[in-house]
Formats: sequence, C-alpha cells, structure tokens
Amino acid sequence: MIHFFIFLPVLASLLIFLVPVRWREEFAGAAAGLTLAGGLWSWSVGGLSAYSINWIPALGVTYSVQMDGVSLLLGIVTAFMTLIAIIYAGKRIPNPGTMLSLILMMETGLLGIYAARDLVLFYVFFEDALIPALLMLAIYGKAHRMAALIKFAAYTLFGSLLMLISIIGVKYYGGSPTFALADLQAHPVTGTVQTWLFLGFLAAMAVKLPLFPMHAWLPDFHAQNHDSGVADVMGTLYKVGAYGLFRFGVILFPDAMLELRPILMALAAFTALYAAWIAFSQTDWKRLLAYAGLSHMGLVGLGIFSMNETAMIGALFLLAFQNVYTGALFLAAGMLQERVGSLSTKVGGIMTQAGALSGLTMTLWFASIAVPGLAGFIGEFSILLGAYQVSPWLAFLAGLSTIAAAAYALTAYQTTYWQVRPAGAVLAHDLRDLDWLILGAPVAVAIFFGIYSGPALALVQPVVRAWMNGLGGGV
Amino acid sequence: MNTPLILPDVALAPLLPIAITLLGAIAATLLGFFLPRRAITLISMVSLVLSGVSMVTLWNGGLTSFGGSLQADNVALSIGLIILLGSLMTLLVTYDSAARAKLAFPEFDAMLMYAVTGTLLIAFSGDLVTMLIGLEVMSLSGYVIATLQDSRRAEEAGMKYFLLGAVGSAILIYGIALVYGATGTLSYVGIRDATAGLQVQNVGLLVVGALLLLCGFGFKVALAPFHQWTPDVYGGAPTSVGLFLSTVVKVAAFAGMLRVFGGAMQNVPAWAGVLQVLIVATIVVGNLGALFQTNFKRLMAYSAVAHTGFLALALLGNPATGGPALTYYLLVYTLMTAGTLAVVSALQRTEAAFTLDDMRGLFYRHPAYAVALAVCLGSLAGLPPFAGFMGKYLAFQAAFQAGYVGLTIIAAMGSVAALIYYLRPAMLMFMPDRTPAREYPGERTPTTAAVVIGVVGVTVLGILPNLAYGLVANPAIWTVLAGR
Repeated sequence: MIHFFIFLPVLASLLIFLVPVRWREEFAGAAAGLTLAGGLWSWSVGGLSAYSINWIPALGVTYSVQMDGVSLLLGIVTAFMTLIAIIYAGKRIPNPGTMLSLILMMETGLLGIYAARDLVLFYVFFEDALIPALLMLAIYGKAHRMAALIKFAAYTLFGSLLMLISIIGVKYYGGSPTFALADLQAHPVTGTVQTWLFLGFLAAMAVKLPLFPMHAWLPDFHAQNHDSGVADVMGTLYKVGAYGLFRFGVILFPDAMLELRPILMALAAFTALYAAWIAFSQTDWKRLLAYAGLSHMGLVGLGIFSMNETAMIGALFLLAFQNVYTGALFLAAGMLQERVGSLSTKVGGIMTQAGALSGLTMTLWFASIAVPGLAGFIGEFSILLGAYQVSPWLAFLAGLSTIAAAAYALTAYQTTYWQVRPAGAVLAHDLRDLDWLILGAPVAVAIFFGIYSGPALALVQPVVRAWMNGLGGGV
Repeated sequence: MNTPLILPDVALAPLLPIAITLLGAIAATLLGFFLPRRAITLISMVSLVLSGVSMVTLWNGGLTSFGGSLQADNVALSIGLIILLGSLMTLLVTYDSAARAKLAFPEFDAMLMYAVTGTLLIAFSGDLVTMLIGLEVMSLSGYVIATLQDSRRAEEAGMKYFLLGAVGSAILIYGIALVYGATGTLSYVGIRDATAGLQVQNVGLLVVGALLLLCGFGFKVALAPFHQWTPDVYGGAPTSVGLFLSTVVKVAAFAGMLRVFGGAMQNVPAWAGVLQVLIVATIVVGNLGALFQTNFKRLMAYSAVAHTGFLALALLGNPATGGPALTYYLLVYTLMTAGTLAVVSALQRTEAAFTLDDMRGLFYRHPAYAVALAVCLGSLAGLPPFAGFMGKYLAFQAAFQAGYVGLTIIAAMGSVAALIYYLRPAMLMFMPDRTPAREYPGERTPTTAAVVIGVVGVTVLGILPNLAYGLVANPAIWTVLAGR
C-alpha cells in the first residue's frame, strides 16, 4: 500500500502519454484523487508501518519507507494540494498533458521525501522532485525563466551536494552498517564532527526552508513561473527544509542544533521579519506571495530551531497548513490574472464584479495572517508561545512579522479588490463551476482545522513528544 | 647435454577476449577488399559480442597467462566489458553516420578494432610492458581514426592528438624506465613487493618514475594541465570518433592507472599528493571551461575533462572502495556520454554539430531525442534517479573515506558548476520555439539503438544500481589489482 501511495503518481505521469489527449485531464485527476484517497485511507488505519529492504547491500543503502505521524499529515496535504493544482491546470492550461505529467512526477518526489527513512533514499527523492520543477519552469515559464531556473537549480544543488557529503560522513564517522535512520540513530556521531556534518546538512535544508541568506532563488522562481500559479503550488510544497531538519536534523545532530540554536533562531526570526518587510513593497502578487511564504517559513524555522516541544508542534502544523492556503492563494492570483490579464496589486475594484473570488481570497489571506479560527493561527501561536520560553526577544521580533503580514496583505488586497474598477477595464467574471472547488476546498480545510485542530495535532504531537523525551525531556 | 626445453606459460583461455577482437580487426582489414563497409561493421560488432561472451565465461576464473603478464581477473573482465559496450555503441553510431561523416571506408572499422584490441590489452595487463604495448596500439589507431576524415578540422584535430599523445607516451616510457631502474622488475606484482615497506634502494628514482607515469597517464585521460588537446580533438574530430575517444580510450587509460597506481604502486609515496592537486585543477578547469562554451561538442569535451576529475577521485580511495566506484562510474560515464554524443550524431547536419542556440525548442521538433538527451544530461549532471548520481556518490564516498574531505567538497562545488552548463542546453530544448527544423532528417535507426542503450542503461542502473555494482562490489577482487 505504501508503495502504491508513493509511486502511483509517477506511474500515472508516464502512462498519461498513452492516454488520448482529450481524456488526459480526467486521467490525471483520477490518479491524483486515488493518491489522496490512499492517503486518507492510511490515516484511517493509523498510518502505514515501516517497510525496509536492501537497495545496494554492498553500500548499506536501504529502501526504507514509513508513512505515519508528521509524514502522513504532510503527505496528505501534498496529495490534496496536488489534486487541486491538477484540477486548475486541466481547466486553465490548453493541452495540459505535459504539465499534468510533471505535476504527478513531482508528487511522487515529494511523497518520497516524507516517506523516506534512509538518508540516501531521502536524497534521491529530494533531487527527484527538482527535475519536474525545473521542467515546469522551462516549458511554461516567462521571458526571464532561464536565469531563474539556473539560480534555483544552482542553489538547490549547492545545498544538496554538501548534504550528500554530510550523509557520507554521518555513516562513516558513526560506523553505522546502513544509511537507514534507525541504524544511524543507534550509531551517533558526537563532538565537533557532528557540528560540521550538521552544517553540511543544514546547507541543503536552509535552501529549501528557505532561510536567509539562502532564499534568493525563491522570488524569481515564483515570478517567472506560469501565470496560473499551478507550478507555484508545487514549488510551495517543495519547501521541505523544515521537515528535513525535523526528521533527520533533530535525531542525528541534536548537540549541534542545540549549540547553534541562538544563531539559527536569530536567522529564522530575521528571515520572517525581513521577508515581511520586502513583501510590503511588492507590486506583483506572485512576488508578494513568495515573500509572504518566506516570512511564514521563517516562523516555521524559528519553531524547529527552538527545539521546544510546543514550538516544534506548531511549526509542523504551520508547515502543513501554510502549504494549503499559500498554495491556494497562488491559484487565486492565477484566477485574478486569468480575469484581468495582470498580476499587479493595483488593478482595483475586483470585489464589485467578482464577489465570490474576492471573498474566498480574503478568507485565505485571513488564514495566512493568522486570524483565530483559521488554521494559520494555531501554528503561529504555538510557535511564538514555545519560542518565547527559549528566547523572548527573538520570539518578539518574529512576532512582529505577523503584524507586518496583516499590513502587507491587506494593503495589497485593498488596492486590488477594493477601490474603484478603472473606467473601461474588462469585466472580471466571477467564479465558475470548478473554480468553486479549487478555492473552496482549501478554504474549507483551513476553517475546519482552524476550529477543530485535534485530528491533525494528533498526528504531530506524539512524534514530537517522543523525540523530545529522547533528548532528555524537552530541553 | 640435453637441457630440457622450458615451455613458456601460455594459456590461451585468458587471451581469448583479446584474440577475438584482434581476429575481428584482421578480418576487417582483409575483408575490406571484398565486402561493403556496412558488412564489415556488422562483422566487427559480432566479434565484439563474441569477445564479450568469452569474458562472461571467464568470470570468476582468475586465469593468468605468460607468467602473470596477462591477467583475466574480474577487474580486467569488468572493465573489458565496459570497453566492449562503448565500442559497440560507437560502431552502432558509425553504422549509419559514417557515410554522412565521410568516414565510410572499411579501414575505419579496422583501425577501430585495433584500438579496441589495445584497450583490452591495457585492462588485462599484468606488467608495465604489456600495458605499454596496449597503450601504443590504442594510441596509434586513435591518431589514425581521428585524422581519417578528409577535412581540415579532422586533420588539425588528429595532428594535435598525435603530437601531444606522443609526448605523453614518451614521458610514460621514461617513467617505466625509471621504475624499472628502481625496482628491477616490470611486473606489477614485482613492483608491489619491491616497494612494500619501501625496501627499495633508490626511493628518489622510484618517486620520479611514478610521477612521470602519472604525467603520461595524465595526457591520456586528460587530467589538467595535460588536457589542452581535449577540446580541439573531441570537438574537431567527427562526432563518432569523439565518442570513441572520450569513452573507450578514457576507460582504458583509467584501467591502466588503476592497475599501476591502485595495484603496483600503492605503497609508493608522493603520487597521491600530486594526483590530488591535478584533480583539483581538472575539476576547476574542466567545469569552468565548460561554462563558457557555445558549441555543444566542445561543451561535451570540457565535460569529459571535468568527469576525468571526478573519476580520478575514486583512484585516490582505498582500492577496496575506490575500485568498484571507479568501475561503476566508468560504466555509467560510458553510457551517458555515448548516449549524448549518439543523439548529437543523429541530429547534426555537419560534423561541427550544433551550438547551444540551435538546441532551443528541440523538444517540439524531435520529442524523443530531446527527452533522451535530457536524460543523459541529467545523468551527467548527477541528478537522481539517473545513474550518474550513483557514480558521483560512489566517487565522493571513496575519496571521503580515504580522508580527502576538502577535495570532496571542492568536487561537490565543481558539480554545482557542472549542473549549470548541463542544465542550460537541457532546458533550452524545452523552451517553445517556432523556427523550422534544421536537424538531419534521414534514416538513422542504428544510431537510435545506441541512444536507447544509453538511456535505458542510465535509467535502469540509476534505479537498480546493484545490478552492476553488486557484480564488482566484492572487495577481495580489488585488493589484488597487481596480481598474485
């Protein structure tokens, strides 16, 4: 079942080219829907237990996968947002076969990242997701995509090759027989070597968190991607740095993470504030969303780096649900562009013509700026609560970013959706048929888990608790 | 007084793979007078396959001949199979592209088969003289096939290759002489035993000899600063010749280095330190040089230099981990480079191949070739799930575990540059473009077959690396590289 969940999308991404052109949207939708169903089914049976088999015995590389707890939550969110992205891609992009195939291919990479319990396997999935992301940008991107593409790829590979060396080092210095997480945990590396290996690992995760100063690829990546925002949804899902730090960093490099905690927390808090500051002056919805996402990821980073139980739970919760509403906001921006032909934040007056679009967009923004009752609030509040116990000042600084978020989001919202529609502008039609589902479903998720967060927290809490106890009762 | 005649130790079985390719070469030489060129190419391919079959039957046999001068151990056989694979792909490409490249005469196949014989001899060598003979047979044939096309470019390429290659050979021979002077023996085992614990009387001579050998090999595998001929030769020679030189010839030269440095000279000081410097230079020069190329063939030439650096990392490792890493990487390198150049050969209109700008929108004109080329380039860049990643990972691991941490980090940073120059053409192919097709439109099924071998190879070996790595992973076969 777990292999079905991970590899069904990639299988579909290859088979889609055998399907007649007119049925491809339905085929991709069915595959993504089945994957999501697989994820939900796994949740209903309490997660999929570990599976491990030798991959390259002579090197100690194993194929070890497991889908439970945090991995399952993030996996389901990925499957859900992929389905939404596929529906919108099928509706928006003419002859979308290639795009649908790339989305599905990327989904397997992302699900693999969450399922992997072997460092080399993690690396393989981590890089696998890169190729479709690059192809989406190359095929569907805008005029300056080559520069954006090379920046994105070079940052990613810079980090991940340093991580590869760390991976080699963790096994070598620890003397573990395999790269499987359980074995590496039983053969820990200690002392200064651990710090150096952690820095290599951190390089990759900082690029994908993203954390200042490794974030420079992000705005160009989003700005140059296709107007529809479909590729941006997948790009948002690809921000797996926080998960990698949680899954491998905390377990393999606990001393190093504690040692560097002040620096890393400061960097994360700075990222949150700095990105919010820059978002304020953006006039393109996608760049604004890119910086808004970066600001939220700064908070997620703060939660992870604080090594505090509450903050970490909040960080993982926020990571999962910001994927939902940030992704949906990218699609909302795509719908805006579809109607008025521009991603500018100054178009004005959309509310008067497209009320439902504006209303749903506003709800998503409220989730994003952590209005209580929506999913964003629980995550951000827990992070700040936990981080405050570790470092009150940094928590305060990072907390300022939530205020700044309200400022930049609502200002841009005001100049786009309120104010007056310019005379002679095209009529912006409201949501039609599937649009309702594409924006409605994420809104429903954000509201549901904002009010009743129990089921999602139940997936996160036990794992974090167990690890914190392993580190000596929640540092 | 009758002294009994002492018969030399001549076992024919371990000679078989080499003898079969030699017979193929002779057949190509003689039958060229009577048969059309394509028939000769087919005969050559059949002899390569037969040679491969004979290697498979010798697997795990550990046979030797001529008192250890020729050894058909698993090291020789695995590298020999890689050589045969590369040669087979070259022949597939030439089968239909030779006519377009003005190379359609049987002599080309004959010289190619002689070169293959030489390369196998290097892989099977048990002493320095056997290795040298193989190297010279390979190099001389190589000079000829690089020049054979009737064009100024090919003549220039061949001339450069010959002059610098001859210098390399001369340095190599001088090194052999010095090593012989220091140890009194030419056989790998003898050198290894004589240098164990450094009981040699003249260490200085030995070290100088080893360094001269390193220089000589450096010319053959294109280690910086001995790489200057590479871009002109690989870029100037016909594509199919460039394919042969950058895969088969390089594999053979690395086989020689593995035997000499991993086996015979493993206890000799100084060469590892110098090799380390050369590797850094190679990675920097190769990767930075490739960043600025506009012609795809020249880009591939610099990429070949860069890969020499990554391959040589494995040589620095302890033979038990470095040997299998090098072999696996050589196999993958052969598949992906040959695959890439086969696509170039299939699509090019002239032997100057195409510029990067010509590749824009290739996906919309020739989707299958574009995807194949993208797979090969992705593999060259070291992206999983393609086999190039595993090769790079193994090479890094071998060097890291031997304590060369700084070098590994430099190599990793070189790989970032490599990604950029592989990515640019790969992504250009997918960017929409409405200009008319300018690729060669005719029939090219055999070349396509070579492309398929390359693409399927890098994909399958990337997902299931154990298929190949499992065969060579046994450390026991790598600790006796010099022989018993």
